[in-house]
Amino acid sequence: MTVGGLKHIQVVPEALDLIDIVLSQTQRKTPTVVHPGYAITRIRTFYIRKVRYAQSCFHERLTKILSDFPILEELHPFYADILNVLYDRDHYKLALGQVSRIRSLVDSFARDYVRQLKYADSLYRAKCLKRAALGRMCTTVKHLRPALAYLEQVRQHMARLPSIDPMTRTLLIAGYPNVGKSSFLNCVTNAKVDVQPYAFTTKSLFVGHMDYQYLRWQVIDTPGLLDHALDERNTIEMQSITALAHLQAAILFFVDPSETCGYAIAQQLALLRSLQPLFADKPLFVVCNKTDLGWEQQLDPATWTAIRETAEQVGAELMTASTMGDDGYASVFAVRNRACERLLALRVSLKVSGRQTDSVLNRLHVAEPKLVRTPQIPASVLERRQALRDADDALNQNTAPELACTLSTSRAGRKTERELERDHGGAGVYSMDWRKHYDLTDPAWRYDYIPEIVDGKNIADYVDPEIHQRLLALEQEETMRQSMLSDAVGDEPRADVPVDQPSDTDVALIREKARNQRRLRQQQAARDRTQRPKLSRKALLKVRKTSQAVAKRPWGRAVDPSTTKQQTRKAAHSAPVVYRTRAVSDQSLVPAGLRDVVQARHAQKLVQRTLRRAFSGREHRQGESDRFIGTRKPHHLFAGKMSLGTRSHR
Amino acid sequence: MALRVQFENNNDIGCFARLTNAYCLVAVGGSEAFYSAFEAELADHIPVIHASVAGCRIIGRLCVGNKHGLLLPSTTNDQELLHIRNSLPESIVVQRVEERLSALGNCIACNDYAALVHTDLDRETEEIIADTLQVETFRQTLAGEALVGSYCYFTNQGGVVHPMCRVEDLDELSGLLQVPLVAGTVNRGSEVIGAGIVANDWLGYCGFATTATELSVVESILKLRTWADNNAYDSSGAFKSALIDALA
Repeated sequence: MTVGGLKHIQVVPEALDLIDIVLSQTQRKTPTVVHPGYAITRIRTFYIRKVRYAQSCFHERLTKILSDFPILEELHPFYADILNVLYDRDHYKLALGQVSRIRSLVDSFARDYVRQLKYADSLYRAKCLKRAALGRMCTTVKHLRPALAYLEQVRQHMARLPSIDPMTRTLLIAGYPNVGKSSFLNCVTNAKVDVQPYAFTTKSLFVGHMDYQYLRWQVIDTPGLLDHALDERNTIEMQSITALAHLQAAILFFVDPSETCGYAIAQQLALLRSLQPLFADKPLFVVCNKTDLGWEQQLDPATWTAIRETAEQVGAELMTASTMGDDGYASVFAVRNRACERLLALRVSLKVSGRQTDSVLNRLHVAEPKLVRTPQIPASVLERRQALRDADDALNQNTAPELACTLSTSRAGRKTERELERDHGGAGVYSMDWRKHYDLTDPAWRYDYIPEIVDGKNIADYVDPEIHQRLLALEQEETMRQSMLSDAVGDEPRADVPVDQPSDTDVALIREKARNQRRLRQQQAARDRTQRPKLSRKALLKVRKTSQAVAKRPWGRAVDPSTTKQQTRKAAHSAPVVYRTRAVSDQSLVPAGLRDVVQARHAQKLVQRTLRRAFSGREHRQGESDRFIGTRKPHHLFAGKMSLGTRSHR
Repeated sequence: MALRVQFENNNDIGCFARLTNAYCLVAVGGSEAFYSAFEAELADHIPVIHASVAGCRIIGRLCVGNKHGLLLPSTTNDQELLHIRNSLPESIVVQRVEERLSALGNCIACNDYAALVHTDLDRETEEIIADTLQVETFRQTLAGEALVGSYCYFTNQGGVVHPMCRVEDLDELSGLLQVPLVAGTVNRGSEVIGAGIVANDWLGYCGFATTATELSVVESILKLRTWADNNAYDSSGAFKSALIDALA
């Protein structure tokens, strides 16, 4: 189970709450109405269902508890031991065992009573059996009260345990109380552990995280340890011992040679020696802390030798540190870096020898080519880089990174789009000007309106990249032709006379042609406007032929169709005659099969009369979509011996 | 220098931007935050423009380009094409390609000298790529993946490829492209490198979830560092041991 598994356990209800929950759920989720008159099988099923439902509810809830709580044997030994130290393994296992036993008891009660319910011969008996079944289940669950209360406490405590990953890179800080362990953690990580000038300020494990060498490191602060036998240690100390025993970490053993912690150096070194078995195969450092107190000058050389000898004896590296920041934390970071380097080297050598790296060999390999491609970096970028480098050389090395940031973000007073957006109402309100940075020959063209569609045509389909060259070529050709013409005509071209002047007859012909075309267009437009179904081209030709034939008949049109409209119009202009346009339209109204206009008019009249008759009568207003009631009062429904009001229907 | 950025809470920034040594196309988002991340660093040197392709924001996956040109899929609108054409300098050829595999960014990976293309790409398209982008083209797969544009990213100075690429394949690819290559991940273990990195020869961007180790791999292989040693792989064993400890 991972660390996360300890933190996501569902709340454990108290025993009485659990009973209430299950009983009310049974009441809500099973049928509630039963009558003595029902068939006995139905009554039995009704109560069996209640008993079964209550049993499954209990079973489900208890199983959830059993599966949520970790099994100590399946945990990482570090966590298993921490749980043992904090909650007592025996107590924990007994509680879970009791839950499991009660669960099986509930199951067996349900089985027994369901069996008996199958022989119940009345509703009353069945109900009594159900009551007995639920009652026994509840009584037995009531016995779980202390176990469930304990498990709930464990759950709450587990949720607050620090998330320690036992497998990752870890620095572990240990030592006597009050030697500056928590101060060191606060120096190297962002953790804010309480630091107080008395012993056992830290009562449990604390974790901080830091970055070093591209990696994330975990730093664990442990409660202080006193030098006495293992079986005399209290819970707080045992947490430290567990961490020391089970975590593959670099161990920083803190010693306070100034003895301001209240413990003699001899005691502290004795502790170091007694813990030696726990340091096997781990990078160990003895950190002499509190150099800011000046103990280095005052220290007895014999004591100093003792410290050094003990360190050598346990295979530790001796370092000094001051967590008060009087040396700019240089000593603290020296300790940290040294510890990290040794631990990393150890881990890597273990992994390489364990062939774990085989799968990631390709990730470590850099394929180098023979040729080197020249990077295409613009001159402006190189200039900026050089400027930054010069500025860096001129200034102190320590301030260079900040300077780099400020210079690279200086943009000569230009506002970024984000700043503009902020100034103009924020996201969703501000919309960026897309054309602002258009790179065009003439910046004045930037905001020119370019339609997408013109006359139903996409202009992009007509874009010609060489249009300028074509235009130039055309203009050149024109000037050339004009000069050739002027050469041919004479010494100087006459500007007032066009090159070829059309005669009057030509003009008339052209006008005539244009007029015809316009008329045709109008006719076409009129045809297009009509709603009636259109004739096919073939049928249209036929109709035209017929109308021409009609026009040629002697009773037809008075005007000879061969005479053009122009001539009639001319005549109209010369003599103002009032035309009856109706007469003209009548010509086209004579349908095929009728003799003349008179007959046609008569036929039309007949049609109109018929239509008038057809649509004026009342009876014709009814359609098939109307509601139809054939017989209002059908005889067979109203004739009979029964008086009215005895039946609502028959 | 490599920076971590996000596009509207999405770490796959390579989908929403296309960066080359001569220009930078950025997708239109809800705010200008993403655009300004590019604009602040690049606008003094190259045009940084908003663009959309076929009305989509995933321009990084749809188009491909280098300092010589830009290839757009056939789905690009005339208006979008016009906008891009107007925004880029004359020297950059903008070309719309009639290609069935229209996500050109997924199918093609290129720098200013060479390009890897999808094995199923049309021969005509390959010719257009060679002409427009002025590159040598190689039909390749990466660790069994045909979408070379998605699973690798390389500039003129180096590149990162799919993490499952074998050492022999790395050497072969490096011989073809003539750039140093390394197999790696971005965005906390994501193998879609093309979606996680946007870089050119002097500046790089990674998705926001990229770890410090991944970022330093990218920085050192693409030679984006100006202040520290440019090649962390050579300088010390520290980088390598950090990689071993983080990966194994």
